[in-house]
Amino acid sequence: MTALEAPGQTLNAAALLARRPWGLYVAVGFAVLLLVAAVAPHLLTSRDPSALDYPAALQAPSLTHWFGTDESGRDLYTRVVFGAAISLPIGLGAAVVGIVLALLLGSTAALAPRFIGAAVDRLLEVMFAFPALLLALLLITVSGPSAISEVFAVGLGTAPGYARMVRGQIKAAKGAAYVEAATALGHSRSRIVRVHILPNALRPLVAVFALSIGQSIVWASSLSFLGLGVAPPSPEWGALLDAGRSYITVTPWLLVIPGLVVVAVSIAATTIGRHLQSRLERGDRA
Amino acid sequence: MRTPRPLLAAAAAVAAATALTLSGCAGAPAPSHDQIVQGGTIVYAHQQEPACVFGGWIEQAYLSYQVLDNLTSLTADHKVVPWLATSWGTSADGLTWTFTLKRGVRFTDGTPLTADAVAYNFDYWLKGGNSTAAVWLAGYYRSAKALDASTVRITLAKPYPNLAENLSQAYFGIQSQHALQTRTQAQNCAAPIGSGAFLVKKWNRGQDIVLVRNPHYTSPPANALHKGIAHVAEVDWRFVADPTTRVAALQSGQSNAIYDVPAVQWKALGAQGYQLEKYVTAGRPQQISFNTQVGPFTDQRVRQAFAYSLNRKQIVDTIGRGVIPYEGNGGVSRTTPGYSKRAADEYGYDPARANQLLDAAGWTGRNADGTRTKGGKALTVTLPYGAGSIINADGASILQGVKEEAAKVGFAVDLIPVPQSGLFSGAYSAPNTHDLSVGYWTAVTAGILYINWRPSTKADPNYSNSAFYNDPALESSILAGNSAADPAQQAADYGKAQQYIADHALSIGVYDRLSTLAVSPKLKDVWQEHAQGGPTFYDAYFVR
Repeated sequence: MTALEAPGQTLNAAALLARRPWGLYVAVGFAVLLLVAAVAPHLLTSRDPSALDYPAALQAPSLTHWFGTDESGRDLYTRVVFGAAISLPIGLGAAVVGIVLALLLGSTAALAPRFIGAAVDRLLEVMFAFPALLLALLLITVSGPSAISEVFAVGLGTAPGYARMVRGQIKAAKGAAYVEAATALGHSRSRIVRVHILPNALRPLVAVFALSIGQSIVWASSLSFLGLGVAPPSPEWGALLDAGRSYITVTPWLLVIPGLVVVAVSIAATTIGRHLQSRLERGDRA
Repeated sequence: MRTPRPLLAAAAAVAAATALTLSGCAGAPAPSHDQIVQGGTIVYAHQQEPACVFGGWIEQAYLSYQVLDNLTSLTADHKVVPWLATSWGTSADGLTWTFTLKRGVRFTDGTPLTADAVAYNFDYWLKGGNSTAAVWLAGYYRSAKALDASTVRITLAKPYPNLAENLSQAYFGIQSQHALQTRTQAQNCAAPIGSGAFLVKKWNRGQDIVLVRNPHYTSPPANALHKGIAHVAEVDWRFVADPTTRVAALQSGQSNAIYDVPAVQWKALGAQGYQLEKYVTAGRPQQISFNTQVGPFTDQRVRQAFAYSLNRKQIVDTIGRGVIPYEGNGGVSRTTPGYSKRAADEYGYDPARANQLLDAAGWTGRNADGTRTKGGKALTVTLPYGAGSIINADGASILQGVKEEAAKVGFAVDLIPVPQSGLFSGAYSAPNTHDLSVGYWTAVTAGILYINWRPSTKADPNYSNSAFYNDPALESSILAGNSAADPAQQAADYGKAQQYIADHALSIGVYDRLSTLAVSPKLKDVWQEHAQGGPTFYDAYFVR
């Protein structure tokens, strides 16, 4: 090693270090933490999320209560941790419902006979005309507020957008050269759809699914915040936001901290989704 | 406040100064002539918007009180004083009441207040014009008849010595007979015609109701702070459901007064100089009644166990932060004449006793969640509540405390927040829809017990009997109280009924229902009427 090489090597190492996807690492780390919270919350807190401690009501964040306490003295950190077991399945469930509905509607619109496809297209346009949140509100008003209603309401609200994407991807795949080649080779229509069109068309949905988890959690929390989701005193994050609203001018942490958690989850899911998206796009180009 | 016009009229100043003295503010420096502002618009932020200005719900009563006058008014020390009726009396047998009306009063449609109009209003209420007025009078009212232009006679089926007190509630506001007969129901719903200090100018549904001063007002109640027309030109009665937003509106000057102050904001607003008004409504407190027809609470021991399992006082004191009073009595609140403290103290916090009772009742098993079981069935009970309508945010937190405390002895309480539409449609009113029912019913006398506990029969169902408990023994005590002329005897009869409710654990009190106001220091003489605690803007005026 010469004297001239050393600084260059240092620079390269720093550049390499800087090029590492630290944002992704943080996002994955946070996601792992959330999974632990959802599956084994007692690993992260020894308290009971419902335990009332009246003398400790409305305490500010401290070493004893990291996120402070609510009006009944319940530990907010514990409630946020336990809330993961409710909010994450709701977000995940809603994302699954949204994607499954999108697959059904989008593939029908793209692959079914023209008059059926046209009917589904119109249906999607009607669903699009409804603001997604309004559609979700409508469904919950009819079915009544609950976690299940929330899952289906959010899933239904997000489905039209993804369905249009699925439809576009399948249509694009249908016109691809490899499909024309398969047709020329005499492959059956079902085989072409199964082997050539769907795998190619649906690959981007992996990333979309990851992105939609974050979006679904935000939407589900919004519905709970409006009193249309999981009922209090559940520690579901949106319900925590709703409960903290009454105390915003006195004990703002009751609102701000659950809000930050929802934002952080959304950012983490988006970061992971975008990374998957870029990996898939690079794979496509290769 | 929106662009008030200053007026140096001596009369207004004198009236305002008198008002201040009367309102007990003599200790505070009285506003000088040039400090008083005549006119202006009070922007008042209220919590809930009713479907009609006049009706059987307290939110309607608060509004109709501004627009309609009653026959009687109630003072802070529970004395009945004249309003549209200048005097009244009863026959020796208590079956006939005669009211003499104030002369020269006109409704805002120009028609005169007559005995015929008053008699017509009584019949109108009973025929469905006001559901709450109807349940008060049902079983007692027989007829109303004008003896002359200003004398009306009410004939009863049974003596009812508290009639004059009850008529002070805004459910008994007198409307123009001409308006009731000639206008549509929708018109009278949106803008009832009374002889009150204000009339409805415009209702922007979902937003606000603009009340404008009645320029010909001549009939304030005897306990008003001044005479003549209202000081302010308009009241912009806005509907702001969120309590934090209401407080912010007051603090930012967008509102001059707000209703239902959150307990957590009470001290801070007081320290900032806002005038705070608190009225503990008489009548049924915020209580939990048990479904005695279907489910686990058909067993009295289970009802008593639930009562013993709750440290109600600590829950209420913590959430209520010294503002909301704990109430143990399930029958009537502490401000109700005839209140029984003994009944209120029946069930202290005693989880050991609760466990014993549940064991004795056969709920001896436990599932994985710690909920008691009996024959494989979990002790899960449902408690629907009118979120944002009957139960405000503080009340919802108190119910969460109830749920957690009951869980410690093995109850799994399923709290179901019900929106106003679901509640009023009767979605949770049938016996098979819930195990527990929470709610209040404001009143001025313990006669509310008759409304809440009158046995329900097929021929005469009582939809207000939320415990579905029908016992003639309980009814007879209440009926005796309703008709007792001697106040001591009346209190004894009503007390007996309250004790019966406590002994049989039919209902347990949780907290006293409040009507609270926070008022800008620039707005003076807003007070709470003493029948239901609604805001009174007739005497209010701005100062510079």
